[in-house]
Amino acid sequence: MASPHYPEGTVRALLQSDLVTEATRAALLPRLDTVPYTPQFFDDNTFELLRAVAARIYPQPERTEPIELAPVVDKRLAEGDSDGWRYDAMPPDREAYRLGLGGINQAAQALFQQPFVALSEAQQDQVIGTVANGTAPGENWQQLPIDRFFEELLAELTEAYYSHPLAQEEIGYVGMADVPGWQRIEPNQLEDREPKPVN
Amino acid sequence: MPDEEVLEEGVLNPVQPEIQDPLLKSILAENEALPTQAPVELEQPAPLPDPVDEVDCVVIGTGAGGAPLLARLAMAGLKVVALEAGPRRDPTKTYATDEKAQHFLFWNDERLSAGQTPVAFGNNNSGTGVGGSTLHYTAYTPRAPRGDLRLFTDFGKGVDWPFGIEELEPYYEELEHFLGVSGPASYPWDPNRRKSYPLAPLPLNGAALLMQKACAQLGITTSPAANAALSARYYQEGIGWREACTNRGFCQAGCNRGAKASMDVTFLPLAESYGAEIRADAFVTEIERDAKGRVTAVVYTQHGEQKRQRCRHLFLCAGAVETPRLLLLNELALTSGQVGKNFMAHPGLQVWGTFEEDIRPYKGIPGGLISEDTHRPKDADFAGGYLLQSIGVMPVTFASQMARRRKLWGQPLRDYMRSYNHTAGINILGDCLPHENNFLELAEEKDARGLPKPRVHFTAQENEQRMNAHAERIMRQVWEAAGARDIWAFERYAHTIGTARMGLSGDDAVVNADGRAFDVPNLYICDNSVFPSALSVNPALTLMALSLRTADKFLAAQQRLDG
Repeated sequence: MASPHYPEGTVRALLQSDLVTEATRAALLPRLDTVPYTPQFFDDNTFELLRAVAARIYPQPERTEPIELAPVVDKRLAEGDSDGWRYDAMPPDREAYRLGLGGINQAAQALFQQPFVALSEAQQDQVIGTVANGTAPGENWQQLPIDRFFEELLAELTEAYYSHPLAQEEIGYVGMADVPGWQRIEPNQLEDREPKPVN
Repeated sequence: MPDEEVLEEGVLNPVQPEIQDPLLKSILAENEALPTQAPVELEQPAPLPDPVDEVDCVVIGTGAGGAPLLARLAMAGLKVVALEAGPRRDPTKTYATDEKAQHFLFWNDERLSAGQTPVAFGNNNSGTGVGGSTLHYTAYTPRAPRGDLRLFTDFGKGVDWPFGIEELEPYYEELEHFLGVSGPASYPWDPNRRKSYPLAPLPLNGAALLMQKACAQLGITTSPAANAALSARYYQEGIGWREACTNRGFCQAGCNRGAKASMDVTFLPLAESYGAEIRADAFVTEIERDAKGRVTAVVYTQHGEQKRQRCRHLFLCAGAVETPRLLLLNELALTSGQVGKNFMAHPGLQVWGTFEEDIRPYKGIPGGLISEDTHRPKDADFAGGYLLQSIGVMPVTFASQMARRRKLWGQPLRDYMRSYNHTAGINILGDCLPHENNFLELAEEKDARGLPKPRVHFTAQENEQRMNAHAERIMRQVWEAAGARDIWAFERYAHTIGTARMGLSGDDAVVNADGRAFDVPNLYICDNSVFPSALSVNPALTLMALSLRTADKFLAAQQRLDG
């Protein structure tokens, strides 16, 4: 069974309907805005590095305007927000990102003698691969547990990506359209407002 | 990037970075010298207003530990005030069906997770707001099986509770009827109950039906589970009619209908109807005592202002992290050496699979189906046992856990997530043995209030590891029988338990069997922290039972004093 694909436009349409509560609409609609973002925490170079890393972890070649994940991280770090816990082996989040992104650049330099953002996509994937399997070169990894950094980076980007209405549309999620509740909940039972896969 | 001091890095919501209260300052300044019976307040009166006269009881925390007893005490005619660290919200208007937007439901002040199996906090197990963690609980309300309270007697491991299940049973009955628990007419693993659940079970969703069919093939008994979410409209004392569940599947990020029996739609309005006062956004920092060591008042911060509330009795119900943290910060009730010790977390191993069937895991009560056949498995190589439960899941939670476990990235990550609608899970809720290596302590690192962050050490020991291995084997069999492919397991630990244990002696326990602190005659503790052992069920129902029992024991003791 291949991964199903769902039709475009379903979530956008639902958000305009009375199947979604006001509170839910107010939460989701602003995420569809594509206004340019000015980093508040990272300097411009580091922000572009984070963007480039996010673009390899969530490549979106089919989108003319990819879902931007770096602003979510930048905004959280600027506000000092937390998800309530941190691995004790990790430094505080701001320091972890500073060290980890620096370490990614060190790995890029060691492997390809160029900063990460200057590499081809294939080279960038090789660098990310060494971070993912814990073998990336770079002195920063002496101060930062590489496996925990990659796990935390991946989890934060993942939560940012799948919080976006278009990413939810991509996986066929329409749980936000819950005003009438769900009556057809058994396997293979769909409500009319639930999208069917297109292949 | 700004170049900042490391200490600043962890600052959250930078409000009031300086401690203003003299007593707290002195405690933080010199950790060693403060005697338990600190007459500091007499020597050095803090310049705080006393907004209200002394009340009979202050209750810190409004979750499953604090809310039931708050109502009970108010109904007995006592003047009671609850202090809740989080805000009060109207779920019908302000709750979004969106995981990110519901971030406010969780205790997001950073905790440090140490040990070989570091426990996730925040949305994994820690809530805030009027209603506490019941605002995000799954509403799963199985009773503790009888044997869970006598683990040491039966296995020679762990500890026994200081009383038997018969002490809790009348409260289980009362709670199931008050909350409107939906469940089976007869419970397969406890068929001789005096009363059955007041409401029919909630409908089974995709994961529950797949698990039911596969378990039947394998000879595993299942039943629709007990859930404190209404399968029909229900009349509730102190509130009126509560509406039925509409299968939104969003229990863990907040019910916007009042169908789920969180404390904000059950015990708290009941308490208020009997005159209890609930103060939201009230973060307690200090517990004041007189020369004899009796609690006299609590100091808390509300909207940037420090306030004091005098009280005759204090009920500490802040959860198994904040309760020991407050006790350690205030050097209170520490004689037994048990505060912060024996931190436990339920093995909550999940097994996921991909199915041909279209499941849409966001629909229906998440924990629809249960099996307690594994409560005492015949082939177990571990003490205690676990229950099995089907699980529905919200997309962001699922994606985040999956990414942490499988470490997929790039196109394979997006491809895998496209099968979200074809995903179903089962998990366990297993007992956890207390262990000396698992504990809470205060870290050097400070939070935005200038208070030390809690550091929690947790390492799954041999018993938990063996239980996980046993459970993974069974759950994989079930999902294979159900036709799943790409089956994978996620090791997870749920709930915060222990850290201020209840027992028969002040030598090895913080509170006695009635919930009263051995060291401090007018301090009661009622939350997961007093659990001597973890139990093999979700803790909310047992905690509410304990809360009502603690109130009754307290009231009986007061009556004896008066008479």
